[in-house]
Amino acid sequence: MDKPLRIALTKGRLEKDTIGLLEKIGYDCTQVREKGRRLILPIGGANIEVVLAKANDVITYVEHGVCDMGVVGKDTIMEMQGKFFEMVDLGFGKCKFALATKKGSKFYGGYNVKTIATKYPNVTRNYFESKGMDVEIVKIEGSVELAPLLELSDAIVDIVETGTTLKENGLEVIEDVCPISARLIVNMASMKMRQSEIEAFVKLIEENIGG
Amino acid sequence: MKRYDLLTPEGTRDLLFEECLARRTVESKLTSLFSHFGYSEVVTPGIEFYDVFLGTSRTFQQESMYKLCDSKNRLIAMRPDSTIPIARLVATRLKDAQLPLRLYYNQSIFENNALLKGRSDEIVQAGIELIGGENTKRADYEVLCTAVESLALFNKDFRLEIGHIGYFKTLVKRLNVDSRTEEDIRQLIYSKNYPALNDLLDKIGDNSITATLKALPKLFGGKDVFEKAEKLYVDDEIESILQNLKVVYQRLGSLGYENKIIVDLGIVRHTDYYTGIVFQGYLTGIGGSVLKGGRYDKLIGEFGRDCPAVGFGVNCDAVATYLCKQGEVEPIKTPDCIVYGEKGFVVEAMSYAEKLAKDGLVVENSLFDSIESTKDYAIKRGIHKIFIVNEKVTYIEL
Repeated sequence: MDKPLRIALTKGRLEKDTIGLLEKIGYDCTQVREKGRRLILPIGGANIEVVLAKANDVITYVEHGVCDMGVVGKDTIMEMQGKFFEMVDLGFGKCKFALATKKGSKFYGGYNVKTIATKYPNVTRNYFESKGMDVEIVKIEGSVELAPLLELSDAIVDIVETGTTLKENGLEVIEDVCPISARLIVNMASMKMRQSEIEAFVKLIEENIGG
Repeated sequence: MKRYDLLTPEGTRDLLFEECLARRTVESKLTSLFSHFGYSEVVTPGIEFYDVFLGTSRTFQQESMYKLCDSKNRLIAMRPDSTIPIARLVATRLKDAQLPLRLYYNQSIFENNALLKGRSDEIVQAGIELIGGENTKRADYEVLCTAVESLALFNKDFRLEIGHIGYFKTLVKRLNVDSRTEEDIRQLIYSKNYPALNDLLDKIGDNSITATLKALPKLFGGKDVFEKAEKLYVDDEIESILQNLKVVYQRLGSLGYENKIIVDLGIVRHTDYYTGIVFQGYLTGIGGSVLKGGRYDKLIGEFGRDCPAVGFGVNCDAVATYLCKQGEVEPIKTPDCIVYGEKGFVVEAMSYAEKLAKDGLVVENSLFDSIESTKDYAIKRGIHKIFIVNEKVTYIEL
C-alpha cells in the first residue's frame, strides 16, 4: 500500500469540527477520538493519517511537505503566510479580525501616530499598509484588551467572535478587518505527486461541508 | 560580548562526508548531462551590483537579498539567482557571440530567509540557459527534454509540470481590470484559493473569461486538460498558446515519460519575468519543486541585447537530501590499508603509499611511532591491512 496521506489538524475546536466532517464523509475516527496522548493517528476506512499540532505548526508541517494537507484558521494563514495551496473554505471556525478601541474614543482624530496592540503584527501591518496609514505596532501575547485600558495603545487588532469580552471591558469594534474561517491547505509538491488521491479527498470534503 | 565563533549563520550549515558526497554526485551527474548536450560552463561572481537585480522583469524582494557595500559605498547584492548575471554576461561580453548560446552553471545562490523557518539561505543550483535560436519552439523542446533527463537521473518516478504563462496573461488582459486586481487574481490562482478567487471574479462579472479564470486552478492533470480548456474561453491567441503546449506535451510523451508529465495551466509565478512556457519538477518526499524553469524573452533585452532565451535550474541541495533519504548515497570508503614506516624509513613508506594509491587503493600513511599504536588505530578505524616498510615491505592482515 502507498504511504498514507497525512493531514495535520489544528488541535482544539478545529480538530473536533474536522473530525465531525470526516465522520460525516464516512471515515472511522475512533482512534482519533480515543487518542490518549498520541499525536499521529490512523483513520479507519481510508489510507489517511491524522497529525495533531498547534496552528502555526500545521502551516510549518504542510509547507515542508512532511504533512500533505492541513486544517488551519485563516487567521494563522494571514499571520504566517507561506507557500501552499489554500483549497477549501471549510465553513467552520468562523470569526473575524476587527479593529477595536475604547468606547467613544476617536481613533482617526488628531495627527499623532497611533499605537496598535495585537497578537497578529503581520495582519495589522498589512491592514494599515493597505490604508496607507503609518502606525506603531506592539506585540502582546495574552489578553490584548488590556493594552488600550492601560493606555499602552490607541486600539487593538484581534479576533472577535461574539464581542462579549470587548463589551465587558468597555471596548467596541470600529472596523471589521476581514472574516476568518477554517481552511484546508495542501502542500504544493504533494498536490502534483498525489493529484488523484488529493483531488478525490478534496471533492469529498467539498460535498460534505455546510448543511 | 557574545561571540559567534563556534556557529555557522542561521540558514547555513557544514556538509560532511556522505552529505557532501551526495551533493557532489548530484552536481557531477547534472553537469555531465549538460555538457553532453553541448552546454558550456560559466561562473559568475558571488557578489554583483544590486542594480543588476532591479528591473521590470526581475522580481526580487529587497528583503530577501543579502546586501553589502563596496569600497566606494555602492550597494552590492550576494547573487540571489544565476540567470540574471548570465543575461548580463550575454548582453555584454558575449554580445557578438554566435547564437544560439548554450550555457550552464553550477553555483550557489543566496536568499535571506525569515529566521527559524528551516530554510537554507545558501543553495547550490545547477542549470542551463539556451539563448537565441531561430525556432524557439525547438529550443523549448530541447530544454524540456533536458529537464526530463535531469530528473530521471535521480528517480524515474518524478513529475514535471508544464504550463504557459501566456494563458493567464492573455485572459487577465482581456478582463480590463487595474494591475492591482490582476495581481490579486494571480495570487489567488497561485495558491489555488478557490473560494476567494470565485468571490473576486463574481464581483468583476459573469462571462466566459471570468469562468475560465475560475477554472484555472483546476486546469491541471493529463491531456484531458486541453479538452477542458478548449471548452472554455478561446480566441486566436489562446488557441495558439494551447496548441503550442499540446505539441510540447505530445513530444515529451514520446520520450516514454508520458504519465510523469503534468499539464498545469494554473502556473502563474513570476508573470513579469516569464514570457512563454513555464515548468517545475518534483521528486517524491521533497516538499517543494526541485527544478524550475521557463522562457524569458525580455530579460536579456533589458541589458541591451534583444534575444529570446529559455532555461531551468535544479536545486542540488534538495536533490542531495532526496538521495540521502532514499539511502542511495554510497557510504564513504574506509581506507583499504595503512602504511607504517619503521624508524628511518619515513621516505620509503611514503613513496610505497604513493605507489599503492596509484594502483587504485585507498591508503593511509601511519603517523604513529610504533607498529602497536598503528595496529590499535587500524582496528578502531576498521582498516584490515597494514604494510610495514623497512629494508623490505611486509604486511599483516587484521
